[in-house]
Amino acid sequence: MTTTTTTTALGLVAAGALVALSAAPATAAGSGTATVSVLHAVPGTPVDVYANGEILLDDFEPGTLTDPQQLPAGDYDLAVYPADTESIEGVDPVVSADGVSVPAGANITVAAHLTESGDPTLTPYVNDVSAVPAGEGRLTVRHTAAAPAVDVLADGAVVVSDLSNPDGASLETAAGTVSAAVNLAGTGTTVIGPTDLTVAEGASTIVYAWGSAEADDLDLAVQTISGLGSDPAGVPSGLADGSTGLPVSLGVLSVLAAGGAVAVAVTMVRRRES
Amino acid sequence: MTRAAAAQRRRLVALGACLAVAVGTPLAWSATRPPAAVGEGLAAGLAAGLAAPAAAPPATPLGTSGPQAEGQEPARTLPRLSARPADPASVAARVPAVDPPVEVSVPALGVSAPVDAMGVDADGAMGLPDDVRRTSWYRHGAVPGTGGGTSVIAGHVASAAGRGVLGDLPDLDRGDEVVVRTAAGELLRYRVTTREAVVKEALPVADLFAREGPERLVLVTCGGPYLRELGAHRDNVVVVAEPA
Repeated sequence: MTTTTTTTALGLVAAGALVALSAAPATAAGSGTATVSVLHAVPGTPVDVYANGEILLDDFEPGTLTDPQQLPAGDYDLAVYPADTESIEGVDPVVSADGVSVPAGANITVAAHLTESGDPTLTPYVNDVSAVPAGEGRLTVRHTAAAPAVDVLADGAVVVSDLSNPDGASLETAAGTVSAAVNLAGTGTTVIGPTDLTVAEGASTIVYAWGSAEADDLDLAVQTISGLGSDPAGVPSGLADGSTGLPVSLGVLSVLAAGGAVAVAVTMVRRRES
Repeated sequence: MTRAAAAQRRRLVALGACLAVAVGTPLAWSATRPPAAVGEGLAAGLAAGLAAPAAAPPATPLGTSGPQAEGQEPARTLPRLSARPADPASVAARVPAVDPPVEVSVPALGVSAPVDAMGVDADGAMGLPDDVRRTSWYRHGAVPGTGGGTSVIAGHVASAAGRGVLGDLPDLDRGDEVVVRTAAGELLRYRVTTREAVVKEALPVADLFAREGPERLVLVTCGGPYLRELGAHRDNVVVVAEPA
């Protein structure tokens, strides 16, 4: 009986704690911080972006991306309003997303973009910030355009096929410049590019296809996350024996002297015997 | 008897002289070799003055950031973000231009060699030119003259064609000068702080190729015994230099 009561009491305490936690401000729910960037990929309309009712971005222009910012980890209620909205009180946002999870340590890009059918939407993408091998870069492509599935080409070869909004795909490749193009999936119809893209070494280069096929304003937006590099495995700087031994001339001198010593010693022994 | 004894004594002297030359020559040579290492060790050379790694900017503490707006607006809990154009041309234009090294000179050794910008080879190791009269700069690492990070210039110690231009690195001493000429014609001067031979497996690549931290120039070649079964030298000879 006592045991049961205690358990119940503990249960109540636990439940209370849960309530307290969920009642706490959303931004205080996590302990660490996360790295957050925001991309505006809805053509035509400058916007203001709010997080938990607070303005985060003012006059945010289409085709622009914020610098990465450390934000407290937690859940965020995001809402996008037309730029210069005097008060958001009673105004319907263009698009909103509640409870967007921003876990501690994560690197997230929130993209405001169009769905395949052309409606504004918010997609939080989690960026892969794991290390890449020395000499390579990570290339990620994300379909955020009002367009059907596409193929992504690098230097004329399909590297990602049949990518649909809002999906993404990643690959690691030698660092350098590639000529990138986007085709309608399975066709030779190029809808974006070709455009020169730099795949930076030791970095993640994230390319967003955005805009609207119908409005004929498809374009690329580029985000770069650096600091993911690895070190070369070593320095193989010896093609042949380069060890510095005794110079040949000195070696010859030493051997001749040793020979001389032997000859003298032999003579001495012979003399003694005779 | 006396004559025979005198002859024997002469032979004894000759024997002594021959032995002295036979043994003394290599001993004297090795005694005049430069010391195996100079400076306070590779780790110290690469780490000396190393500033604490720049901490990530702290998250804005809740309720303390941002000015209290005049009027009714409460204190901000989130920083304001600013945005930049993300089209490929704008992003490319923001990447700083690199002025790569094109020549390295070591006056104390009387050598000067072209520098090729190279990445990694098929094994993920630093790329090196086959020509032992040329050197390579690791182009994915720090850039000489930019004020930060460790730039690495390496060359083969030798090939079948002959001795490499950096083959005499073991003769470098503390304080010796190293000069790097950049593509833009700038002359960057460095002074040797440490020289050390390191077994290749123990090469501290993370320190050697540090992209951040104080500016260092590192010259690398091979050294130690040539291990015929591996077709490679046992060691890397690493010379660390600081801006003069």
